[in-house]
Amino acid sequence: MQIKIKIPFSIWPKISDFFLSRKIELIIFVIATMCSITATYYYFSIDAIVAYGDSESHLNISKRIIDSITPGIAQAGGIWLPLPHLFMVPLVAIEPLYRTGLAGSIVSGVAYIIICVFLFKTVFLLTKNQLAGIIAALIFGLNPNVLYMQSTPMTEMVLIAFFILSSYYFLRFINDQRNMIYLVVAAFFGFCATLSRYDGWFLVMFEAFVLVLLYIRKREMWSKMQGLVVMFGSLAFVGIFLWFGWGYLILGDPLYFTNSQFSAKSQQNSWLSRGELPAYHNLAESIKYYTVTSWSNSGIIIFGVAIIGFLIYMFNKKFRYRYFTAIILLVPFIFNVLTMYLGQSVIFIPALTPISFEWRLFNVRYGLLMLPFIAIFASYLFSISARLTKLILAGLFIFQYLLFAVGYSHVLTLEDGTIGLSHAKRPDAEQWMKKSYDGGLVLLDDYARTISVVRSNIPMQNIIYIGNKPFWQESLKEPDRYAKWVIMQKEDTVWKAIYDDPVVQARLFKYFNKVYTSDEILIFKRIPNN
Amino acid sequence: MFKNFVAIIFLILIGTLLYSLTLRGVLGNPQASAFKNNLDQATKPFELSPERGRYLMTMSLGDFGRYDLTSDLADAAYPDVGIFDGRYYIFFAPGISILALPLYLIGKSIGFAQVGAFSTIAIFAVLNLVVLYKISKNIFKLPILLSLVAPLIFGFSSSGWSYATTLYQHHVTTFFVLSGFYAVWKYSQKAKFSWVWGAYTWLCYGLGMLIDYPNAFLMAPVMIYFFINSFSIQFSVESFKINARLAFIFTSILFILVSAWHGYFNYTNFGDWKKVSGSIVGVKHVRELDLLQISEADKASQVKAAESKKNPVGFFNEYNIPFGFYTVLISTDRGLLFYYPVFIFSFFGIYNLIKKGMTREVGTLLGIIAANVFLYSSWGDPWGGWAFGARYMILVSAVLSLFVGYWLQITRFKLVSRVFIFLTFGFSVAVALLGALTTNAVPPQIEGEYLKMKYNFALNYDFLMSGRSSSFVFNTYLQNRIDLFDYYVVLYWIIITAMLVILISSYYSNSKKNAN
Repeated sequence: MQIKIKIPFSIWPKISDFFLSRKIELIIFVIATMCSITATYYYFSIDAIVAYGDSESHLNISKRIIDSITPGIAQAGGIWLPLPHLFMVPLVAIEPLYRTGLAGSIVSGVAYIIICVFLFKTVFLLTKNQLAGIIAALIFGLNPNVLYMQSTPMTEMVLIAFFILSSYYFLRFINDQRNMIYLVVAAFFGFCATLSRYDGWFLVMFEAFVLVLLYIRKREMWSKMQGLVVMFGSLAFVGIFLWFGWGYLILGDPLYFTNSQFSAKSQQNSWLSRGELPAYHNLAESIKYYTVTSWSNSGIIIFGVAIIGFLIYMFNKKFRYRYFTAIILLVPFIFNVLTMYLGQSVIFIPALTPISFEWRLFNVRYGLLMLPFIAIFASYLFSISARLTKLILAGLFIFQYLLFAVGYSHVLTLEDGTIGLSHAKRPDAEQWMKKSYDGGLVLLDDYARTISVVRSNIPMQNIIYIGNKPFWQESLKEPDRYAKWVIMQKEDTVWKAIYDDPVVQARLFKYFNKVYTSDEILIFKRIPNN
Repeated sequence: MFKNFVAIIFLILIGTLLYSLTLRGVLGNPQASAFKNNLDQATKPFELSPERGRYLMTMSLGDFGRYDLTSDLADAAYPDVGIFDGRYYIFFAPGISILALPLYLIGKSIGFAQVGAFSTIAIFAVLNLVVLYKISKNIFKLPILLSLVAPLIFGFSSSGWSYATTLYQHHVTTFFVLSGFYAVWKYSQKAKFSWVWGAYTWLCYGLGMLIDYPNAFLMAPVMIYFFINSFSIQFSVESFKINARLAFIFTSILFILVSAWHGYFNYTNFGDWKKVSGSIVGVKHVRELDLLQISEADKASQVKAAESKKNPVGFFNEYNIPFGFYTVLISTDRGLLFYYPVFIFSFFGIYNLIKKGMTREVGTLLGIIAANVFLYSSWGDPWGGWAFGARYMILVSAVLSLFVGYWLQITRFKLVSRVFIFLTFGFSVAVALLGALTTNAVPPQIEGEYLKMKYNFALNYDFLMSGRSSSFVFNTYLQNRIDLFDYYVVLYWIIITAMLVILISSYYSNSKKNAN
């Protein structure tokens, strides 16, 4: 027995007209904005926006540029690339936005919206299928890890935004090589990416490499190739040279970002000495770690669908430039595998990291950088599927989000920020300081993150930290010279310079009283009229 | 038609023969007192707790008419036994124990209670051979001879053999999934009385959950296939039509009835229709609390707290996937492809089928594989405890065997493919028979290394060479007449010869067809 229901199309034109009369990009923009605001509100309500220790550091860098004992562009530092901090500068000037971390949320949120829109455009460029583009935007935009990270003052969203912008225009150039403007725009966004995160450096290098590959087979095109590479490189690579120059001029070493004691490489050395860098000089482990991290961020089902889509795409001869597209979109994978192999970065993830390690959750957010790749190829598979398969794929995507909802798939980025190694410590000293601070300069090793400047409500212009020359250097020898408060944590720079040095310690106790003691943190306050 | 009939009879005969000759068992009607340090030792029928627990529930039903266990039976079922409201229950779904009851009672009346109960699973294993044949023949459209390949591969060169001779859920699960799939295919043919196939599918789904709770997920691809074959949307210029077969809805009454009974079972025994036996607190935990010498009130609140935390779904976690995937597929202690390399050729079959164009049937079969691998890779114990091979991959083995048969049909390399299949089949059978004839109590590598024991079929080989068998027939009637190794060789050559004949005949049959 069968029933048949016939629905005339007369109602459909009204629905389809509604959508077609408005550009899809605008609809995606609106939906992405609503998602961003909702997610940010939620994470703000559970006090998770500044959960990452790095979140506060990014906020503080921006704040110090305009509000410090020694404000100025030099406060941008020499380890993290400056662009995300520069974007936050006008926002951190508004004190509530700084204290709540929303200054960073706004920057990440805008980046998130741009990514959603341009993912749609990229997929439409590749597939000429609007529905596939919408699916890509949804896969990325509704991902719980993305929704969390876009609410935080971290730099991943900014990098991904420039990555997708540069890639989109670069792919437009590849598909229409007469139009140089696309290459220029791609170069510009590549330049921005190079000043956002070091992944951006790989992006522009690979884009230049693809330019070479595009023309190398035809000898008569070599001069054109040279011209294009120079044109592209002269804008895209400027950021890299600027950063070397910055390192040399401000910090005395063009490779300060990798040689300094604050660099990621230096941090990795302690793990290496403990044998806790599993991917170091092990290509298989590096690939395994980053693959698992990528699928843990996207969800394994969507990852699996994307891999199938990618393989089908690569075998589809209809796409003349498929290898070049693949190279560009795989840049985050290549970069992260290489940096882990070289010991420049580390990821700990419970699925792989041995139980014997001190920490098993760290830097898992790096897997988010593969999300554009995953979203693009999962939606590509969707676009080429028959109607029934589309229905099944849609069901699988929904099932994946259900797995996130029931906790089977973890929101790893949130877990890392709250219980992983990336989480900001919240010692009692912070609350004590918030209640007890009554003005005056505070000597504090900000790199050691002894207490949170954001949460303790100490005005940034009252902090003496390593970036405040000559206040810092002089205070380590004569703590009474400028500071009213001295906060130190076991084995941090202030502790070692003052507490471990008997002469300086004597001076400390001559002019300061110890007003707070815990196992790790000591706080001293200047004796009045002394 | 006659040849078809002969092929099915052949499968029934060879399955019955080989499973009977390797059925695990002891003579008589064992009582609970005989379990500890006797029948729960390696090569004995109750060497592992899953079969022990299920059998004891069957005993309780047959001897006392109750689902819960007496304290003697609970002691014998330890540690896979929980306690609720002062009553003892095994942790497993009740379906296998209920299914085994008829043959248990018949066996008991003639002094073969345990053998009778275990034979239930062997029957389902034989039925699986027939279902695989039907799928190969009717859905994959393979010739009769090649349709026999998949049943032989699954039945005798996979862990399916080891678990056809003991009281586990795997063959029953495989039967419900595969026969459900076949039923949906028949239903989709829209012949007269096709609604009967639809009804059967719903029945399989309901009964499947009674057998083992993960079947709710493992059968999902089949149910989606069922749904898709019941509803269709057709677009035309002016409108679109939704066609719905009402049989899909009407026949769901069977599922509702079975599930209602299941819910009633949970409600009367555990106080809540949603509460399953796996979520009650374990006797092990209670005994540990007893050792703490705390007050009864404290003990009660701790038990309640432990129960509220216990969530069967919580055993599945995405973190487990990388290691789980490796364990079930390629590890040296459980890997499907390590134990049974014949399944490697299934990937060629899958590739060719996908290249030809994905059909609903192929998509469903791949979905069954994906669901099974996904689920049990996420499981906190992908080894399946102490087990022989990847027992959680038995359903996957059944589906993969279909693709091996298909590949033999479509490959250009008719002779070479048969040679490779035969060689890998030979190795795989040798391994499978080791497990079927000796023990399933093989530790995972991590435990084996700690206990300084072998942790894969190497352990079974040692058992074979020392004459230790689990086979009821061998132990009861042949032990004094024939060496275990010789017994092994005889069984091995039966199945190898059968496969050799099939491969050679199908080769010549194909050559003749091409010549014509």
